[in-house]
Amino acid sequence: MTLCATETAALIRNGTCSALEILADTEARIRARDPLLNCFTTTTFERARREAAAIDAAIDASKASGAPLPPLAGVPYAVKNLFDIEGVVTLCGGKVNQSNPLAKQDAELLARMGAAGAILVGALNMDEHAYGFTTENTHYGTTHNPYDLSRIAGGSSGGSAAAVAGGLVPLTLGSDTNGSIRVPASFCGIFGLKPTYGRLPRTGTFPFVHSFDHLGPFARNAHDLGVVYDILQGPDPRDHACAQRAVEAVGISQLKLSPKRIAVLGGWFQYWAEDQARRAVAHVAAALGAESTAIFQNAEAARSAAFIIGGAEGGALHRARLIERYDEYDPLSRDRLVAGSLIPASWVIEAQRVRQHALREALALFEQYDLLIAPATPIPAPLAGTETLTINGRTVPARPSMGLLTQPVSCIGLPVCSVPVWLEDAQSGGLPIGVQLIAAPWREDICLAAARMLEAAGAVGYRAPPFS
Amino acid sequence: MAPEKLDAYVRNALELQGYQLDVAQTERVLAQFLRIEAIAQVFLVLPLPLPLPFDAEPAPVFRL
Repeated sequence: MTLCATETAALIRNGTCSALEILADTEARIRARDPLLNCFTTTTFERARREAAAIDAAIDASKASGAPLPPLAGVPYAVKNLFDIEGVVTLCGGKVNQSNPLAKQDAELLARMGAAGAILVGALNMDEHAYGFTTENTHYGTTHNPYDLSRIAGGSSGGSAAAVAGGLVPLTLGSDTNGSIRVPASFCGIFGLKPTYGRLPRTGTFPFVHSFDHLGPFARNAHDLGVVYDILQGPDPRDHACAQRAVEAVGISQLKLSPKRIAVLGGWFQYWAEDQARRAVAHVAAALGAESTAIFQNAEAARSAAFIIGGAEGGALHRARLIERYDEYDPLSRDRLVAGSLIPASWVIEAQRVRQHALREALALFEQYDLLIAPATPIPAPLAGTETLTINGRTVPARPSMGLLTQPVSCIGLPVCSVPVWLEDAQSGGLPIGVQLIAAPWREDICLAAARMLEAAGAVGYRAPPFS
Repeated sequence: MAPEKLDAYVRNALELQGYQLDVAQTERVLAQFLRIEAIAQVFLVLPLPLPLPFDAEPAPVFRL
């Protein structure tokens, strides 16, 4: 059976199933489906059995004492392989990392998931060092799209998205520097949340671009996404960019917020969207009653700034090893990394100024609107191996261009929920596409409330893939 | 910027940084850098106002 996280927790809590039974079912599903999808690079079933047994013991003790169980008691989940897992090498998609020491402890967000009773079952495939939007990893293979195995799952958190969409686990964690949660969520037809920059601590994860690295969850419905987001929140002084804000729980079960002032982002966000993406946005706008269009004038500049800052920081991070071990890096991204390490400092500093300028413009937009809507990707999932895309009549390189619509938003750190839209027509080819619900800094509650409203209205939602 | 100037910049910068790439590798890096430079031009030509305090702050955009 393929249950969502909340359903799984309820079955365990009411005694219908034990955590060990749920885990056995999950392990069987992973063993059956992962050879088709290639989501997992490591499984941690032994650890998971220990954790599940501890949960079952806690349930027995709870029956006697009446003590409450943690919210995700017994719920299986997995993480992108840039999160540290105690006793496992953090690959970050790289062959060059295979000989790194074993992680000494779990990443901070894993510790929080564990405290909430969730059971870790493994680590997931990604683009090497998170530098890509396709999860076509030369060393660990391509992660396939559950709705059409000849297509990509998106990236760089492709394993995280495909594992949820494919029903292998109900929850995963990923990272988003330029769109790496929103792009695969779009291609795989699931919900993904990129919180505000600085909301979730990145302690114990392999970095890519310090200025833009965000962590966040994937789920098959908005409720699960809100539940796990509340669990992940909280300050951590070990990540210097993590805001030392107290937990601001959205309380998704009781979330009643109704954003009223909603606009569709035009300009850049329409120009770089193909027909299906535009129609998906119109579909969501109609369901939310949004009739206005807003223009983010600095979208192109913000995207360019993101490209330069990302290239420079990523290139600098890997420069020393690229000099010594170039051949071990993925051919799909190593030349971009080397080129990034050559970017002049003055361009980077100018890009940071552009970023602040764009942020000021966006904050002014949020004086007028609570929520902005934009496509998550220009197109639905392309075929694996696609080298170029044609968008609005312009041919662009495929791999770096799938983030054209996500980069301007993550550049300025706004919170975004990507929601899956299924258009009922022949042109959509039976493939989902994501729409970004974007709010002002620290207003993840608005993104999640809108996602929940749309899901309740039947405008967005998850559909089980054919093979399941 | 003129392609020949970018070509010279990339070859010199590769050497300065300590890379030892072959001809084909250098050509691929050059192609990537040409694209990066074209994208940078989008904002390098912008008439931004004079810098404000913290304008070039790299990371904690919303740290409160």
